Amino acid sequence: MKEKPTKQEKIQANNLIEEVTEILGPCVKCGMCKSNCPVFKTIREESISPRGHSISLLNKKLEESLFDCTLCKSCERNCPLGIKICDSITKAREALSLKKKNTKQNEEMLKNLEETGNPFGNNPPKGEELFCC
Amino acid sequence: MNLLPYEYDASQIKGKAKQVIFPQSIGQVKSIVATSPKITIRGGGTGLSGGAVPNGDIVLDTSKLKKIGKLDQQRKTVEVEAGVILDDLEAFLEDYNLEFPVNPSSHTICTIGGMIATDAVGSRAIKYGATSKWARWIEVVDSKGNIGRKGATEMSDYTNMEGITGVIVKACLNLIPKQKRTASLIPVKDLDELLELTQKLKSHESISMVEMLDEFTSKGLGLEEKYHLIAEFEDNTGKMKDEKYTELLNLRDKVGPLLSREGYLMIEDPKLHHNKLKDFLTWLKIKKIPCFGHISVGIIHPRFKPNEEKLISEMMKVVKKLGGQVSGEHGIGILKKKFVDPQDKNIIINVKKRTDPENKFNSGKII
Repeated sequence: MKEKPTKQEKIQANNLIEEVTEILGPCVKCGMCKSNCPVFKTIREESISPRGHSISLLNKKLEESLFDCTLCKSCERNCPLGIKICDSITKAREALSLKKKNTKQNEEMLKNLEETGNPFGNNPPKGEELFCC
Repeated sequence: MNLLPYEYDASQIKGKAKQVIFPQSIGQVKSIVATSPKITIRGGGTGLSGGAVPNGDIVLDTSKLKKIGKLDQQRKTVEVEAGVILDDLEAFLEDYNLEFPVNPSSHTICTIGGMIATDAVGSRAIKYGATSKWARWIEVVDSKGNIGRKGATEMSDYTNMEGITGVIVKACLNLIPKQKRTASLIPVKDLDELLELTQKLKSHESISMVEMLDEFTSKGLGLEEKYHLIAEFEDNTGKMKDEKYTELLNLRDKVGPLLSREGYLMIEDPKLHHNKLKDFLTWLKIKKIPCFGHISVGIIHPRFKPNEEKLISEMMKVVKKLGGQVSGEHGIGILKKKFVDPQDKNIIINVKKRTDPENKFNSGKII
């Protein structure tokens, strides 16, 4: 059965969501944050763009797509209002985790780390299968 | 699917989306249009009048139509799909020492399809005019899902129509050789000097941009609390070159969002004849309305707070009294529908009936 968040975790998660809306409050949806976002540039879908995340989070909608962000801060460099978008995404991810809404991949990675000290578990991919952007 | 991001554009208006579809080819656009009852077409979502905000419709997002096609270096033309982002096109053309000269401040994210549909103008309007002037032909998917190529004579049914007459899917654009530009930031003491200098700059042979910042905007940008002009030249006339030039242009691109941060979320874009600008700018100053704009072509961007609707209506009356247009470049969308001249509206309705009799595209916009 899926683990449920405790009362304390729910409160912590809600506090984090409040912090997220406070950070993103000044967002005017101009979309300049999308300019150099590597995820948006590749996938070309507004819902995984920084503006898309901002709109969803301001409406208190926490989507799994938050984990698609690379936290590279390119959006922050392009935001004319200097909004700390990546900070808000990190906090929103934490809130999702507290609400026990982690992605399967994240849960598996945490379990692997706990059990083997390696995010890939006992069968890490070969060197040539690993790459960095 | 999370639809919320598709229910907004940069206008702050919220709509309602039924579904979002991302065609990856022009063939897919044809079949989506043929089988969908109501469609809102979306480009970069940078519109400031709500043109891409859906009204309970299916959103057709053109972002994945991103192919840059045939480049003819001799004729200086390039074929592009509607979802190509302007700066991506400029980056591609740089290798061939060519450029597309129309430059709206959203150049890093706006799409070519959106620029044609709104006939985007931008800061270099004094030299290069609007986007439609640079389109050799466009390809449009009509309400039945048929594709057609429109040349100069038919293009006006689709350019500046904000997507209410068909889906622009491809275009052939005229290009120019890549220009080496410089710029100057000029503080001026009052409105008289501002307008006099603007006229002088407009007659300079290498001028490509004259932008105005009012006292409030200048202060917000960390400049002296005075009117300022930003003049761009296509030679070495400007004092700011290379990195300094880029910094100044980047600063200019951030003016709009910076005023939004101060609470001035609403932006208007009236256009006035040069000899009426003094009256208009004086009126704005008396009413303490911050503004900036493409003064060389008479387009001013006054900014308002969300509770200043009455002041906007008052300003529109002033614009009409001075013989100006209520929208010089942002389009009508949803926000400015009430200000459209009845005669203009009739013309648009006739074009709409002819091109989209089923009222499939962008319902609730312009008319």
